[in-house]
Amino acid sequence: MFVILVYDVAQRRVARVLKKCRQYLHWVQNSVLEGEISEANLKKLKMELERIINKEEDSVIIYHLRTTRYSSREIMGLQKGGDENII
Amino acid sequence: MKKTYFLFSSGELSRRDNTLCFTSEKGRRYIPVEDTGEIMIFGEVDVNKRLLEFLSQHEIVLHFFSHYGYYMGSYYPREHLNSGYMTLRQAEHYLDEAKRLALAREFVRGAAKNIRQVLKYYQGRGKDVNGQLQAVENLLPTIDSCGDPAALMAIEGNLRDHYYRAFDAIIGLPDFVFQERSRRPPKNYLNTLLSFGNSMMYTICLSEIYKTHLDPRIGYLHATNFRRFTLNLDVAEIFKPVIVDRLIFSLLGRKMIGRDDFERGTEGIVLKEKARRTFLEGMEEKLKTTIKHREIGRVVTYRRLIRLELYKLEKHLMGEKPYEAFVARW
Repeated sequence: MFVILVYDVAQRRVARVLKKCRQYLHWVQNSVLEGEISEANLKKLKMELERIINKEEDSVIIYHLRTTRYSSREIMGLQKGGDENII
Repeated sequence: MKKTYFLFSSGELSRRDNTLCFTSEKGRRYIPVEDTGEIMIFGEVDVNKRLLEFLSQHEIVLHFFSHYGYYMGSYYPREHLNSGYMTLRQAEHYLDEAKRLALAREFVRGAAKNIRQVLKYYQGRGKDVNGQLQAVENLLPTIDSCGDPAALMAIEGNLRDHYYRAFDAIIGLPDFVFQERSRRPPKNYLNTLLSFGNSMMYTICLSEIYKTHLDPRIGYLHATNFRRFTLNLDVAEIFKPVIVDRLIFSLLGRKMIGRDDFERGTEGIVLKEKARRTFLEGMEEKLKTTIKHREIGRVVTYRRLIRLELYKLEKHLMGEKPYEAFVARW
């Protein structure tokens, strides 16, 4: 499963959310991560995020894509992060 | 499925914020630990103990390659699937001459049948490989009458001899003639590609073995010795024709690798970095492609296929079901 995760959280929690997400997904841009993730790992990530965020103030959105076969990604301007596995 | 990461740049791989971080002159790149299966290191990468501990925790294998792209060794973290039972079964099947021979035979048979399949495919596409195909067909029945592993290795050698001779007809490029198999160091372009591909295949098999209860030190076709892992060599035999050789044919056929991609160094002919990347991208692509598995009736990737092969081996060792090597049907 491929997911895109975007978050908008209070400043003091940004770092913690970012660090947690980076363990599972590729950072592509400020507050945006994406990547291939297993069903189980997504559940784990969601649970751990729930523990960090404040449900009254913060928001995290996860877009699920079953495959990336019918999607394409277009970047305008800078490429800030990446998900290639040959570095 | 967890990913394989290839590090070509030079820099430092470290543990940072509970995940992996690769710092090079180009900046910092975070690698998600939870999505990492193995890391192949080609560049000059610095590593510290803290990182190795972290990798052990996450059961990630590191494979190191020299400047010339030759396999140098692995950081094989502490076994996480400990099974004395399986080790004993493995040893039992090694020590018992008849049992060892049965397994070794199956590996050779698998390799031979996959070689035949590759040749048949190219015969169907109008390449002149009839002679070699016939030779392989003739050798197939001799596998069963073979008395010891050394003789099996010899048959395997013969088999590959005939097989490699078909390469010129299949590839049909004057820059990539086969001549003879030369290794350590490879003496022509095609041999370089074969060596590189095979060593990648060995490490991938090793990584898959790490995820099972099997011990890579006990191989059956390749004699167990004091020096190296051998079970991965056995398993790789089956997949080399299907994965490595076919990849080489398609890379050369599509002109993705040409004569400019090689360098004559002190250690024979080596692939340039760009070509190495192209090769590995192709290999990743290949390992990710899926096929419909006949027995389990669902789609599996080639990489998964390798693991399934190991599970079949485990079943054989436990006496549940005799091992039968995977044979491609296309």
